[in-house]
Amino acid sequence: MHPMTAPGRRYTMANGAAANSTDDELARLIQACAARDRQALRRLYELMAGQMLASMVRILRRRALAEEALQDVFVSIWQRAQQFEGGRGPARIWLMAIARHRAIDVLRSERVNLYREADVEQLPEPAMEGMGDWASAGRSAAALARCFEELSGEQRRGIELAFINGYSHADIARVTGEPLGTIKSWIRRGLASLRQCLES
Amino acid sequence: MKHDQPQLIDALASEYVLGTLRGAARRRFERWQSAEWHVASRVHTWESRLIPLALGLPPLAPSPGVWTRIEERIRSADAPPATRRAAARPALRALAAGLLMCAVIAGGYVAWRMTQPLPLQTVATIKAEQGPILWSIELDAHRERLRAVALAAAATRPGHSFELWALPPGKGAPVSLGVLPGAGQLERTLSDAQRQALAIAAQVAVSLEPPGGSPTGAPTGPVLYVAALNPNV
Repeated sequence: MHPMTAPGRRYTMANGAAANSTDDELARLIQACAARDRQALRRLYELMAGQMLASMVRILRRRALAEEALQDVFVSIWQRAQQFEGGRGPARIWLMAIARHRAIDVLRSERVNLYREADVEQLPEPAMEGMGDWASAGRSAAALARCFEELSGEQRRGIELAFINGYSHADIARVTGEPLGTIKSWIRRGLASLRQCLES
Repeated sequence: MKHDQPQLIDALASEYVLGTLRGAARRRFERWQSAEWHVASRVHTWESRLIPLALGLPPLAPSPGVWTRIEERIRSADAPPATRRAAARPALRALAAGLLMCAVIAGGYVAWRMTQPLPLQTVATIKAEQGPILWSIELDAHRERLRAVALAAAATRPGHSFELWALPPGKGAPVSLGVLPGAGQLERTLSDAQRQALAIAAQVAVSLEPPGGSPTGAPTGPVLYVAALNPNV
């Protein structure tokens, strides 16, 4: 099947331990890290490491590399905890943003090697059947799921390959066989539609 | 590129968070983001929009050794130099303890000195031929930190940024040292490439660029000022 025309599926935007830990609890733990409480970092690790690693392995394709980057992430959280501002947004988003940025940075430096290695991690598709647990996932996740499903199949797939798998425009063009310009416009339009839908 | 358009900022922020903004464009956007709060705020908005997508992945338990290594790393980053068991012979214990104390104090002092930033010294002043000084550029002795201080109110031009460049001798390409502040001061940590460029440069220059700096990594607008770089630092 053409990768861009896979049938639409329901998106679950949050699940597992992370969804059950409230952002308030995560924010308190980050503040405790700023006060040099190692137990708080341990608890953050228990709550978030699985979620972060899932996202990082997707991007980096190799577990060893992702686990090394995960160490960097927690050392960075420990060092940057004082910079966390509760008012900026949900703590989970702040934590996941650090993890994703680290993964993308590592990807940039390891890119060539990744493509040469055949033994990349075999991963299950991120698809999850059935609607998510919106109560724990939060209103913004529910809105994203709704808006995401309103995108065209190509736009959704393009955004998913870029965001979840860490693919560049050129990578997506390669796996779909579509011209680079087409991919760029799918993604640009998809993001514009998402913004419009989320702001409405 | 017209960086002053809110729609364009938003589009760049969305592709940055999505991960499709790559290479030099990504690095430029990161610099811009850390200098301008309204750019950072668009990034935060897109993070809260898209990251729930990543939270939909089934969690993957890290290997048991990962936490241990994190603990070791934060411990060695936080802790004073490790103490060692005193020598086994009682006669040597006092001496060993004394030496250890000296080592801890000396080690602590060295560690403390290493974490103290070196003082900054003015290495260039940028001005028009007749006019007042517009910016002073300060560096530390290791060329690790650069501070640009805007001294005159005239240092803004709507819809543009002023970008500082290290000019290598001969025909080498200018190396960007970042955008200059319109008011107040801006301090940044220099990259290896910037440090090397400053080590050999005899002059710095300021060019007029789109907001956020040159989109190409080389000066795109007119060069407005050139100033000598004090070699004594």
